[in-house]
Amino acid sequence: MRHLGPAAGLLLALATFPPLVSAQTATPATVTPAIEPQAMAALNAMGAYLRTLKAFQVRAATTTEDVLDDGEKVQYAAVTDLLAQAPNRLRVEVVSDQQQRMYFYDGKSFTLFAQRVGYYATVPAPPTTVELVDRLDEKYGIEVPLVDLFRWGGPRASAADIKSAADIGPSVVEGTTCEHYAFRQPGLDWQIWIQQGDYPLPRKLVLTTLTDEARPQHTAVYTWNATPSFNDAAFTFDPPSDAQKIVFTEASATAGAVKK
Amino acid sequence: MRTTTRVLLSMAVAGLLSDTNALAARAVRGSANTSVNRNVNVNRNANVNVNRNVNVNVHGGYRGGYYGGYGCCYHPVATAAAVTAAAVVTAAVVGSIVNSIPPSCTSVVVNGFAYQQCGSTWYQPQFAGTTTTYVVVNAPR
Repeated sequence: MRHLGPAAGLLLALATFPPLVSAQTATPATVTPAIEPQAMAALNAMGAYLRTLKAFQVRAATTTEDVLDDGEKVQYAAVTDLLAQAPNRLRVEVVSDQQQRMYFYDGKSFTLFAQRVGYYATVPAPPTTVELVDRLDEKYGIEVPLVDLFRWGGPRASAADIKSAADIGPSVVEGTTCEHYAFRQPGLDWQIWIQQGDYPLPRKLVLTTLTDEARPQHTAVYTWNATPSFNDAAFTFDPPSDAQKIVFTEASATAGAVKK
Repeated sequence: MRTTTRVLLSMAVAGLLSDTNALAARAVRGSANTSVNRNVNVNRNANVNVNRNVNVNVHGGYRGGYYGGYGCCYHPVATAAAVTAAAVVTAAVVGSIVNSIPPSCTSVVVNGFAYQQCGSTWYQPQFAGTTTTYVVVNAPR
């Protein structure tokens, strides 16, 4: 009892202290406007800048979480190498824990190549990359890697969905000084780190999915090359002799099984 | 002893045929969104993977067993799944879809497209999204 007396008093003091602090700091947060104009302006400027790029190469180191039935999260890593030339050339290679895929688009046809198993499928493609990414999503259930890079600054950007936008402050990503922003839209919280200065490129992205209570996250850290060297053959698939042609299933067929 | 050898062989071959390298299927209820700017069909992007059985990589495939948390080949679920996968051969219904096919299938090209013939059962490999799956089809010729 003698020993417990002073100790209990100390614990009580500690326990009462934190609520006072949080009450003081919580007050200003509630009067902050939900959408800070400078955060939206920065996002729009980044999108506009992306749309001016004639060609770019970007490497993204990504992590993506799956949620198992019991709520346990499992994280997978991948590296995506993407080469794009506006308006209608695209080459992507994704190497993940689970699979290796190559995407080829030359303005006329699209090919997905699964290198490890030696399977590929080719379909006719729309005339621009922007249309291609929508077509692949709608018809085949394929999300082109780093698809946001083609949607920011365009009609499919999510700006109208954003319910909250905040400028978090400066932050360094891989040695580059960025400004860190946080956005909320239905079902999704996301953060982006935009390079400061004359070249407002996205350097890091974090997505938190809210539709599952486990809140799985996806992260991407981008390394940019704004002056890539390539030739047109890079965008055309030339099947290796042992590769075999297969088909795409259409998304409506696979979506039917989900019934949600 | 003979049974053991057979199971190990099927694990090895199935690893080659399925680039997800996976023999253990676990129920995945969802995945993180990987893009901010959704397409018109918001719901489809949000959770394409509801109740899909995704292969958790227990077996390392080409790149070896590098999954430190699980180890390569000792996971009990993996062994059980391998046996189940091999047993499926005899009861394949046309239209059913599997993530990997049994061992000792023959690759056959018909009209330019790849098939796998496994005894009397024919599988057509396909991309469902970016994932390779195999649908059981009637003999294409």
